[in-house]
Order: sequence, then structure tokens, then C-alpha cells
Amino acid sequence: MNALGLFGAFGTLFAAGYGLLALLVRRSLQLSLAEQIAFSWLFGTGAVSLLLWVFGFFANGLLLQGLVSVVCISLGMVGWKLKTPSQIRRKPRWFEVVLTAVITIEIAIVFYLSFVHTLGWDGLLNWEIKARYAFANGGVLPAAYFSDSGRAFSHPEYPLAIPFTELWLYLWLGESNQFCAKTIFPTFYLAGTFLLAAFAVRLSRRTWLGLLMAALLFFVPQITVEAGCASAGYADFPLSVFYLAAAGCLYCVVEQGNDVFFRLYAACLALLPWVKRDGLILWIVAAACGVLVILRARKPPLSSLAFLPGIVIICAWRLYLNATHALQAADFLPFNPETFRTHLNRALPLLSALVAEFYSLPTWSLFWFTVAVAFLYSLPRMRDPGVVALVVALIAPIVLYLSLYLFSSWPNYLDHVGLSISRLLMQVVPVGFLLIVLAVSRRPEKHPQQVEMPNRATCAMARSERTAVVELA
Amino acid sequence: MTSRWSYGRIAHLLLWCGLAVALVTVSIPKIYSGATEYPLRPGGALHTTDSYLKFATGTEGASKNLISMFESMPMSKPIVIFIHKGDAFSSGLGMTTAYLASPHPVRLCEIDGTHPDNELSLINPDKVVAVVFCRLTRPAWLPPGKVFGSGLEIVSIREKR
Repeated sequence: MNALGLFGAFGTLFAAGYGLLALLVRRSLQLSLAEQIAFSWLFGTGAVSLLLWVFGFFANGLLLQGLVSVVCISLGMVGWKLKTPSQIRRKPRWFEVVLTAVITIEIAIVFYLSFVHTLGWDGLLNWEIKARYAFANGGVLPAAYFSDSGRAFSHPEYPLAIPFTELWLYLWLGESNQFCAKTIFPTFYLAGTFLLAAFAVRLSRRTWLGLLMAALLFFVPQITVEAGCASAGYADFPLSVFYLAAAGCLYCVVEQGNDVFFRLYAACLALLPWVKRDGLILWIVAAACGVLVILRARKPPLSSLAFLPGIVIICAWRLYLNATHALQAADFLPFNPETFRTHLNRALPLLSALVAEFYSLPTWSLFWFTVAVAFLYSLPRMRDPGVVALVVALIAPIVLYLSLYLFSSWPNYLDHVGLSISRLLMQVVPVGFLLIVLAVSRRPEKHPQQVEMPNRATCAMARSERTAVVELA
Repeated sequence: MTSRWSYGRIAHLLLWCGLAVALVTVSIPKIYSGATEYPLRPGGALHTTDSYLKFATGTEGASKNLISMFESMPMSKPIVIFIHKGDAFSSGLGMTTAYLASPHPVRLCEIDGTHPDNELSLINPDKVVAVVFCRLTRPAWLPPGKVFGSGLEIVSIREKR
């Protein structure tokens, strides 16, 4: 019964996501199967959680589930009609087969780990708690929950993408189930791996490099086994996947000025603040990168409409929290110049805490050292707006997160840093891998003939709109 | 040929191969120990809270019993949960209990010592449905409640007839 329920929940999630992807792509871009799966998952979770929240204002119980299911199935049918063209497959080389096998094993291990471990502390008491309470109340979070001081520890003000995806599983299962809820997190890992591989291939124009990067993601202990890892039920890894999607699409926009990637970027950007409160910072950074790209690529002013969905989500959620008198987190002091001035003495200890975190081999292995080398490689290419956007997308969130601790209200702010910095840094890890790809591939601009590789997944293929092969198909 | 295998290219290749191998080599022991730390256990609907409660109190499958106990209580009044300030186990236990007590309203009271006599004396017993002690000692004047392993006791406050 549980398997059937999970099948229904995942099927509708993917159907909704695929439909949205097809609407955004409109047959004008070839996407690999991995990209289609990954984007379908991201858009599916985003759309279903938003629909549950919006429809929850006027429906609950079976009606709510039915309404959302109808929309999901309709989107799935639209997707089927508008079928996104797939890339033409070529015969893989032996090392690509080996790397694919390694990635498959890694994904299986992450699924295994998610079943072995319980939900992490925040996974249960910040995220799953909302799904459980909403399920017990017919699919709608009780208004009293937001102002319940006894449950303020569960951060009622946090957005609902993750808890309402769990809620969707519960509605299909017919019970709240902490074990089954965990299935969504390795699926985010799968989506992240697929997207990293796909973007790395597009950036480097080398399939093996994309596969290698996806395989190496597993070897960052913070993502695999550390507290707050991808399988722990926290929102940080899913947020990192949305951020990777936004940053990767933006890079592809710069490369080829393709509008499809810009639409995909806009969709992923909009969902960032819906996944986690920190997503607002990532939204600001990704939007700033978007503005940079719009200006450099001389895109029409209408392109700035890409920021509208995100702004609508941010404002709607804020209004909702105000209307429900939601309790605000007490982790930070008021953000004003006075607090900033009086707490500026924290800057150096914070910086040394960050450096210590980068050096923590059990948590990060050599990842940050590798990123530092990649950053040095990127310095001579800073005239390329795509590289600038990636570097900003990697560094700006780290700087902003560190600055936030200046406003920490914890008695010992370094405890606050120690507890959360690794999870915050995890949000930019996949983007760090993209920077590594750029450095490793060190694309030879002097030898354009080496770049011409037909039948490969590259940003260049996107430019061609409908290629002859697709027309033929 | 020269441009394809220049010194720079070889150095570039060696650098990145070295970094990749080092990354994997440093990570493997940590990931191996993390992956083999716990055996695969059968999962239930209350898989995580059961594990937390077992860790904190030593009692197996306590979540279901806690839920049924809270369900048997009238919904109109809140449950007061006492936790010990500075004791992570106590606050963890308190929050897990608050999680399971839904849809009852709850009040988490953090106290400094281990005897919440003073705080309890300020509470009007007609206005609460139960009092929960998380790694705290129940005052002697309060009737004993249901004990879950070591550290969790729930005293149901009966309504006066």
C-alpha cells in the first residue's frame, strides 16, 4: 500500500514538473534525459507545494488532494503533448560507462543512508513537523500553529516547499510517515547529481568531465554523511540543487543567449525563497547575477520580468506570515546600522571560524582547496560575464552568510556559527563544482576547432533552436 | 603534437588528477565509517521520534504510547513541558514531546535547576491538562504520572468534578 501511495505521489510530482518543463522549453531546446528528470523533479516539488498552499485557502482533505492531482495530471498531459526533444545519443566510451556505474552506486548508497539514518533534528522539528500538522488538519497548516509560542522552536516562519512535498507523500500514503518522508531527499541528490553532470557537460563540452564531477560530489563528506547531509531531511541540500539549476542556466544564457535557459533560470530563481528562508539570500545573489547578464547580453528590458515570480512568492509568504501573526525567529538582532557598528568586532573571529571550516578535512575533504585552485584559474577569465556570474554566485552567498553572524543574538555567536556554517556552505557546493569544471576544462578559446563536437550536450546546441535532426524526428 | 602535450598541459592534468585523487582518498575513510555506522532497520511511521525517545529515555516504541496518552486528554487546555536549561537532552526530549502532543497547545518552560517546584506552584492546575518533566524531578506533592524509561514523566491533571 505504501509503495502504491509513493508511486502515486512521485508520479504526480514528476508529471507536474515535466509539464512545466515542457511549457518553459516549448520544443526549442534539446535536453538530455538526466536534465529532464532533474528539472521535472525540481519544478514538480515547487509546483505541488505551491499548489497545496494556494488551494489550501479554499479546500482541504480529499478535495485538496484531488484538485492538486488534477492539475498535476493536466500538466503531465501538456508535457506529453509538447514532448521536450531529447538529445541524440551516441555510443558511450568505456570510461563513461564506468563513471555512470559509479554514479549509480553512489545514488544507491545515498538512498541506503537515508533509510539507515533517522531524520535529522531540523529535518524533523523544522520541516517534517509542518507536514505532519498539515496532514492532521486535512492538508492545511492550522493557523494557530504560526502563533503557537510552545512550538516556536519549529520555526513556523520557514517556507513550505520541503514540508509540503512531504505532505504530498502523506496525502497519497494516507498517513504521516517519517520513514517514507525521507525518500524525497535522496531524490534531490539524484536530481542534483544529474544536473551537475549535465551542466558540467554543457560547460566543458566533455561528457566524461560531467560524469566525473557528478561522481566526485559524493566524496564531499558534508553532502554524504555529515550532520545536515543530503539524506538528513534538511532543506539545505535541496536548496543547493535549486541554486545550481539557477546558476547553471544563467551560465548557459551567457554562453549562447538562449531564451529557454533564461526561462528555466527564472523558474528556478523563483523557487529559491520558497525552499528555505536562506533562499532569499541566494535569490538576491542569483538575481544580481541575472541583472549582470541582462545588462552584458543586452537583453530586452522585458527580461527583468524573470524576477517577478520570485518577488511574488516572497511577498505572498511575508503577507501570509503577517496575517497569521507568525512568530519571528529570535536568532538575529535587528538588522540596522547601529547593530552592525556595535558588532563589527566580530568580523575577525568570524573570518577565522570560516577559514577553520574550510580546513576541516572530515567535513569537506579537499573540496574548498580545490575550489580555491579553480578560483585562481578563473581570474584571467574575469572578462567573461558567465565566469563572473559563477564566481559571484559562489562567493557572494558565503560573504553574506558570514555577515549575518554579525547580527547573531546567540549568547555565544561562535556557537551559532559552529552549528550552521557547514550547512550554509553546502548550499553553494554544487556551484563550486561548476567553477572546478571551468578550470579543469580550461576551454581553449584559441582553438575553436576543438570545440566543434557534434552530438554532444552543449550550450551551443541550444542556440540552434530546432535542429534538423529534431525536425526530422 | 607539441601544443597537445605541452608542459603546461601536463602540469594542468597532473594538478587536477592529483586533486581529484586526494579528495577521494581523504573522504573515503569518513564516508565509509558514516555509511557503516548503523545497520538497516525496519522503518515505521514514527521511525525518527522512536529513535530519539529511545536514545533519550531507553524506551522502545514510546512515540505511539505518548500519542495515545495525549489523545486521551481533553483538547481545550495546554500541556506544560518542563525542560532543564543547558541540558540538550532535556530540551530535545521536550521538543519531541511537543511535536507528538499535537494538536494540543503546549507551553515549554525552561528552568534553571532540576526541581520545578516554584514554577509549578505558579501554575493554576485548572488551566493545564498535563505536566511533562523532561529529565527533571517531579515534586513530591504532585501525584505520580506515567514514566517513560529514564527521564520522561507525564502527569495528567484530572479535572475537578
